[in-house]
Amino acid sequence: MAARKRTSKPAQGKLPGHDSEPGAETLPAGSGQERGTPQKRFVATKVEIEGREELKIVELPDLEPVPWGEDEPLGIVGERVPRMDALEKVTGRARYTADMVRPAMLHAAFVRAPIASGRVTRLDLGPALALPGVRAALTASDVTGVMHAGAPLFDQVIHWAGQPLAALCADTLELAHRACALVALEMELTPHVVTVNAALQTGAPLVRPTGNVPRSQPRVLQRGDVDSARATADVVVTLELRTPCALHTAMEPHGAAAEWTGDDLTVWESTQGIFQVRKDVARAFKLPLNRVRVMKDYMGGGFGAKNYAGAHTYTAVALARMLGRPVRCILDREGEQTDTGNRPATTQRVTLAARVDGTLVSIEADTTIAYGYSGWLASPAKIYHELYACPSVRTSETFVHLNTGAMDSFRAPGHVEGAFGLERTMDALARGLGMDPLELRRKNYAVHDQEKNRRYSAKHLDRCYSEGAERFGWMRRRAESAASRASGARFRRGVGMASQIWGAGGGPPAYATVRVNPDGTVDVLTGTQDLGTGSRTIFAQIAAESLGARLADVRTVLGDTERTPYAGNSWGSITTASVGPAVRIAALQARARLIEAAAELLEVDTTRLSASDSVVRVADDERTMTFAQIGRELGDVMIMGQGSRGANPPDTAIAAFAAQFAEVEVDVETGRVRVLAITSAHDSGRIINPMLAESQLEGGIIMGLGYALFEERVIDERLGLPLNPTTHDYKIPTVGDIPPIDAFFVRSADVVANHTGARGIAEAPIIPTAPAIANAVADAIGVEVVEIPMTPWRVLAAINGG
Amino acid sequence: MRLTVNAQEHEVVVQGHETLLAVLREQLELTGTKLGCARGECGACTVLVNGRAAYSCLTLAAGCASHSITTVEGLAAGQSLHALQRAFIEHDALQCGYCTPGQLMAAVALLARNPAPSVDEIRHGMSGNLCRCGTYPKIVRAVQAAAIGMRADASLDVVR
Repeated sequence: MAARKRTSKPAQGKLPGHDSEPGAETLPAGSGQERGTPQKRFVATKVEIEGREELKIVELPDLEPVPWGEDEPLGIVGERVPRMDALEKVTGRARYTADMVRPAMLHAAFVRAPIASGRVTRLDLGPALALPGVRAALTASDVTGVMHAGAPLFDQVIHWAGQPLAALCADTLELAHRACALVALEMELTPHVVTVNAALQTGAPLVRPTGNVPRSQPRVLQRGDVDSARATADVVVTLELRTPCALHTAMEPHGAAAEWTGDDLTVWESTQGIFQVRKDVARAFKLPLNRVRVMKDYMGGGFGAKNYAGAHTYTAVALARMLGRPVRCILDREGEQTDTGNRPATTQRVTLAARVDGTLVSIEADTTIAYGYSGWLASPAKIYHELYACPSVRTSETFVHLNTGAMDSFRAPGHVEGAFGLERTMDALARGLGMDPLELRRKNYAVHDQEKNRRYSAKHLDRCYSEGAERFGWMRRRAESAASRASGARFRRGVGMASQIWGAGGGPPAYATVRVNPDGTVDVLTGTQDLGTGSRTIFAQIAAESLGARLADVRTVLGDTERTPYAGNSWGSITTASVGPAVRIAALQARARLIEAAAELLEVDTTRLSASDSVVRVADDERTMTFAQIGRELGDVMIMGQGSRGANPPDTAIAAFAAQFAEVEVDVETGRVRVLAITSAHDSGRIINPMLAESQLEGGIIMGLGYALFEERVIDERLGLPLNPTTHDYKIPTVGDIPPIDAFFVRSADVVANHTGARGIAEAPIIPTAPAIANAVADAIGVEVVEIPMTPWRVLAAINGG
Repeated sequence: MRLTVNAQEHEVVVQGHETLLAVLREQLELTGTKLGCARGECGACTVLVNGRAAYSCLTLAAGCASHSITTVEGLAAGQSLHALQRAFIEHDALQCGYCTPGQLMAAVALLARNPAPSVDEIRHGMSGNLCRCGTYPKIVRAVQAAAIGMRADASLDVVR
């Protein structure tokens, strides 16, 4: 709380009418103390996104509310409110980008490279264009300067199988696909590399002219003196681990629809970032930002793969301009599984060294990342530096370019991979020490941020450990699984646990507008998106709480660059903690105006007024005015509040923490693993809507279960082609694979992080799932499992000694 | 040909190779039924054909002339939601919502043939419908709750 109260100008910023309301007292904003210049409005603040810390400029809000404390008596925030767009979704009325129909709309599809490396020598579009109903083709010369996944769009040099080479546009999607099949394509093959081992050989074919390793060297991060520290250890454990390439597999593929009206362009896009897509499209087509409108009302999942405009966007826009008709371009499943990003495969050689009491003295991880043709350097090493207290840590990351599709952010990029290596090896260390794995983790508890040596805004991982272990029945199940192993039965039980950390503080810039209409209804406008997370609902809850409105009267408008003020991409678990505070400020401002109006209408002092349930009440008086009555009196006066997200507290790490427990049963004859139970305890600050938040946890855990047991993109080494680009062959979990899941939050409000007390949720639950399950499998079979997914044949091989 | 969808007859011109999904979405603009994989793998396109669940992406429209088709748009009776729709909302059995129409139709078919399914029977009956958001635990709960509610309503009808 102290972080927010560092101000030199007290009473001046008070809004009228708030004294009687919990948490409504306001203070002048943080006033630029991030840089020690008290009067500046635009200052820099640190924001962590997808594991990367970025410096962002923040426009400090005029007023920074006092944080909602742990015991704040809130009536709407914290309630299990059904999601407010559920009706649209269960009736089929929710329109996704793939459902967008415009008058005279055409459809586009891609001709894709059927080889992993080579050069197009002949691309004859004639037969395709001759097909009745085919309207146009799009090739590289139509989109010069436009990039897709690290290469020029429709590049005739082939870098990965599935790369788009041209697009065809036709009256129907089916016709567009038929046209693509008629394109005469001739290519010259060049040698490809699709495995890390092949790419690192001397004389390996070059995926990039500059070499197969970005900057030609590994990224090494270290603190302390690992070699001296390791020499003092009593126990040293080393594992060599492998994680697979995983595919996002959102149910709605990537897609866009584009329509030009004169010089104005409208794009409907299935995206996690409407403003990012606007920026990308404006840059690609050299358009002013105010001529590009990007909309996303509903979307069928993103999970990190839908943060930017892509080939489908540029294709729809370019064809729509060329033909003067709206064009929709929705990827087919194979395109979705080969050309929209992935979580890259890794190898991790991990060495942990500890004293006999379990104290870690050194952590080492040497990793390779099968990066693909392009992407960004998502770090599997970062979690090794963060999760435990340890003075000596050294990691090395070798990113390797391959002739495979570019990687992209995928729900906790880097951390999911790294957590498997670290937490699996911690488990092996516990076995080496003869220690309870949970005790080992408690022994090495990081009280402050190890990497940057600063405080945490709040950390209750200890409570996650104790409450999680209690609810899971850690001691009891451990004893039971030991008994099941001793019996030598075919079905062996095992238990395991793992923990996680993930930057979840969010940050600026993010804006919101709250409008009270003359009939008393309320609009919340903010340029964020709802990916299925429930942001529509929770921002209405925050606005209703702060404004004193009935939730039923509040509607959130998002996903439209033209109707809403800016908010950032929905990535890095940032949305709640970024946009929530802006919504709260906007609602408080609107309430102040409303209270002022009511005070004048009722001829009382604002200090005697309060608002709740869309009614303004006078203290010690019978008189009331509903928001609608005030609206009627005011005519068409616009009651409006503007809110923005303030700075993050300086020198503070803000993260979500969790401990996860799993029980499995392994059939030692077939190698089949069945997960019997998962308990997941989370510390994510205040929970705005526990029902929706639990859904997020369950979803992350289930995705992690798929990563642990089934999911793996397979590429034929000789041909360089993906072998399982379908939802049948790339196995995501079904309802039949899901054990009982007990996912919950330890109660806490993070009053340092921001004034709503909330942190992010979405990515935390996937991080510890695979290691917790793998640790349980190792417990069941008594062998250190080092590779996921734990398919039956891998488990059998482990049981039979590799 | 004539196609009966949600108890309404439509006159449509259908080519032999056209799927029911394409006709529903493109000709009738019933976009509640979703395209996810086009190969009968994900279940997002599930509709009822004569009361039984079918993947409309693998069903030829031309073969549906004498059949009664129900899509998610036909589930509610006017303003009154189907018990499963209410249960999905109440139990938060949806996140992004893209697979939800298919999940609902699969659940309707399941409860039609087994009004009192066990948890295992629900898991089995719903396993042809993928959800990447991971709403499965809540789908199971919603289907259980709706089944109980529908049986109670049915017994009330008998009493009446």
